[in-house]
Amino acid sequence: MLKILIPSILLLPSTWLTPQKYLWTTTLSYSLLIASASLMWLATPSETGWSFLNCLMASDPISTPLLVLTCWLLPLMVLASQNHLMLEPINRQRTFISLLISLQIFLILAFSATELIMFYIMFEATLIPTLIIITRWGNQMERLNAGTYFLFYTLAGSLPLLIALLLLQNSTGTLSFFTIPYLPSTCSTPWAHKMWWTACLLAFLIKMPLYGAHLWLPKAHVEAPIAGSMILAAVLLKLGGYGMMRILIILDPLTKELSYPFIILALWGVIMTGSICLRQTDLKALIAYSSVSHMGLVAAGILIQTPWAFTGALILMIAHGLTSSALFCLANTNYERTHSRTMILARGLQTLLPLTAVWWFIATLANLALPPLPNLMGELMIITSLFNWSMWTLILTGLGTLITAGYSLYMFLMTQHGQLPHHLISLNPPHSREHLLLTLHLMPLLLLILKPELIWGWNA
Amino acid sequence: MAPLIYSALIISLGLGTTMTFASTHWYLAWMGIEINTLAIIPLMAQNHIPRAIEATTKYFFVQATASATLLFAGISNAFLTGQWDITYTPYTLTSTLITLALAMKIGLAPLHSWMPEVMQGLNLLTGLILSTWQKLAPLYLIYQIQPNNPNIFIALGLMSIIVGGWGGFNQVQLRKILAYSSIAHLGWMILILSFSPPLALLTIIIYILMTFSLFSSFMLTRTTHINSLSTTWAKIPILTISTPLILLSLGGLPPLAGFMPKWMILQELTKQSLCPLATMAALSSLFSLYFYLRLSYAMTLTMPPNNPAGTLPWRLNPQHNTLPLALTTTSTICLLPMTPAIMSLMPF
Repeated sequence: MLKILIPSILLLPSTWLTPQKYLWTTTLSYSLLIASASLMWLATPSETGWSFLNCLMASDPISTPLLVLTCWLLPLMVLASQNHLMLEPINRQRTFISLLISLQIFLILAFSATELIMFYIMFEATLIPTLIIITRWGNQMERLNAGTYFLFYTLAGSLPLLIALLLLQNSTGTLSFFTIPYLPSTCSTPWAHKMWWTACLLAFLIKMPLYGAHLWLPKAHVEAPIAGSMILAAVLLKLGGYGMMRILIILDPLTKELSYPFIILALWGVIMTGSICLRQTDLKALIAYSSVSHMGLVAAGILIQTPWAFTGALILMIAHGLTSSALFCLANTNYERTHSRTMILARGLQTLLPLTAVWWFIATLANLALPPLPNLMGELMIITSLFNWSMWTLILTGLGTLITAGYSLYMFLMTQHGQLPHHLISLNPPHSREHLLLTLHLMPLLLLILKPELIWGWNA
Repeated sequence: MAPLIYSALIISLGLGTTMTFASTHWYLAWMGIEINTLAIIPLMAQNHIPRAIEATTKYFFVQATASATLLFAGISNAFLTGQWDITYTPYTLTSTLITLALAMKIGLAPLHSWMPEVMQGLNLLTGLILSTWQKLAPLYLIYQIQPNNPNIFIALGLMSIIVGGWGGFNQVQLRKILAYSSIAHLGWMILILSFSPPLALLTIIIYILMTFSLFSSFMLTRTTHINSLSTTWAKIPILTISTPLILLSLGGLPPLAGFMPKWMILQELTKQSLCPLATMAALSSLFSLYFYLRLSYAMTLTMPPNNPAGTLPWRLNPQHNTLPLALTTTSTICLLPMTPAIMSLMPF
């Protein structure tokens, strides 16, 4: 575990000490090295489930795919930010990269934490670098509002979580993941128990986000620079999902009744946010709402707590992370050329940028869950287990799949097909850097078709 | 100010607090507090501008009222119990009166109205002394009276956290914001004082570290208004990184050190089965986080080349010794992993 964490921490001094000429090369190559070393976590032969243990950090089949995704994302973020940061003073470039690296450190510590309070502190610690990335390097005036919404929505949910965890620690004496599944359930008065249940889950539901508390997400995703959008969409939302998976173990048996409103809200959110996507004019907002839609499905899957649902949720989290991040990178290629996120201003790009159109095609197909991509595997498993839980959910999930296909196709047709608008006479051709970036996003997604056991979680 | 007079006043400040710390008799405790008040009055008025004199007068009236009430309560206690020990206050009347008098001394809600006005009229150094040193003696006395009924502390504490957060919402003057932040943090201290005095000690030590670094950052750039914060990037660029972190630490965000007292206090409150209170206190501290965040927006997050929000002032060389600032800033940002070590030092 430390083999990856310590090099990540030491990336910070190397960012500050590298000469200006080699800054981006160095950070990119070292973070790629760390990312390839992190693939060792995927080999988890241990029978107890936990591997690469020390007292404070461990990895198990649920956290491993998320850890590898986190480590994989840092070189991608460095690659994506290179262009828009080139004009800034060198120290600010170094500060930006340091923020990305510190995010990776906190995320590694969060996903590999073996104790709930450590997980909580790292969960909260990811807020500060993300806040600074969004509000300092975002491009529009609304970014201040976005940062405030982001911080306060998450904190309003996580402070009750802290109190719930402290309550749990008082009654059970420990909060270690190793022993929590075997503890007797803490019962108090029915009302207090319900409050405690809600307090435990609320922070993660807001982070996922659940449909009713999702307002921070379109703001934050849209106003963030590309690296901020990537890390938000790919990993930070999954922190909520991972937290829910870990904490639901101790929340039985109340979950059977109390999770109803949240499952309904999540499924309804799939449809609502999908419908909003169909009417969006802002490309990044479309991708942001699509994230809410997919995460609604994940939330519903996690809340019904069956093995297939957990597996489907985990697969969808990883697949959605890669897909959403790829879509944000593609939106960023549009933004860097036209400095606008409005979709109708950049139509018909297949004529001008045919190679990028290939990436748009693959990313769109991944977003609408085309077989045999892992997106479909995740969605199908969640839909099947939801059907098993209650057959009426099929209406909502089926409609959701239809709307997802609708808006993904809308996004693709709007940006790629049709006539070029008259004001676009030439755009810069795609850089090799952008092609590399999208390859590194979509190649793991395609390779995961061949070995999905890596992201199956406990059902391996 | 002449060096001799200045040093006499500073020594008297120290003498006053030390006398209160060393006392077991009500007269001596009250005398120490009076010496403190009298020593800081000339320090507050050293500027000779009307605003400073107004602040000094307000402070004097409030503190005189509080001291008189304190003396009255001490004498009543002596009358009722027959002895002058400050630790023996079995009667609710006297202990409540003492608590309220001392609450007025340090500026807890609902006796807090003087705090922002007084702080606004002072220069930053005197404001620092007011919000850190002047709180020590009264807090010590509140601990010493050993109340058996924690209700008044909980009420004072929760009200202070809410008022300290809500009151600072539309302030643009930095000293008033710091006054409200002081009220909120004192609320946390009072909240936990009856359950675990060592945690109150931890809170005030961490609070002194954080406030010291924040005041020192403002002293270094001589800013007293939100608008003048926005040119910090031109004067001392490193402050644009450290000050937002200090502000977020004051707001209690992990992984910064300001989270430590809140975490420990919430843990103690949940151990005492006061979960709704803990939830209310935690969520009320989000109010103060809002205006700390606004300060960091003004200072760092709207830095050029994005949105310059203020006009450029004269840039003079910083004359202060920056070593205390460096030390306190480092502890404010990095002290959270030391929590087990610090908790083991606390006497339980």
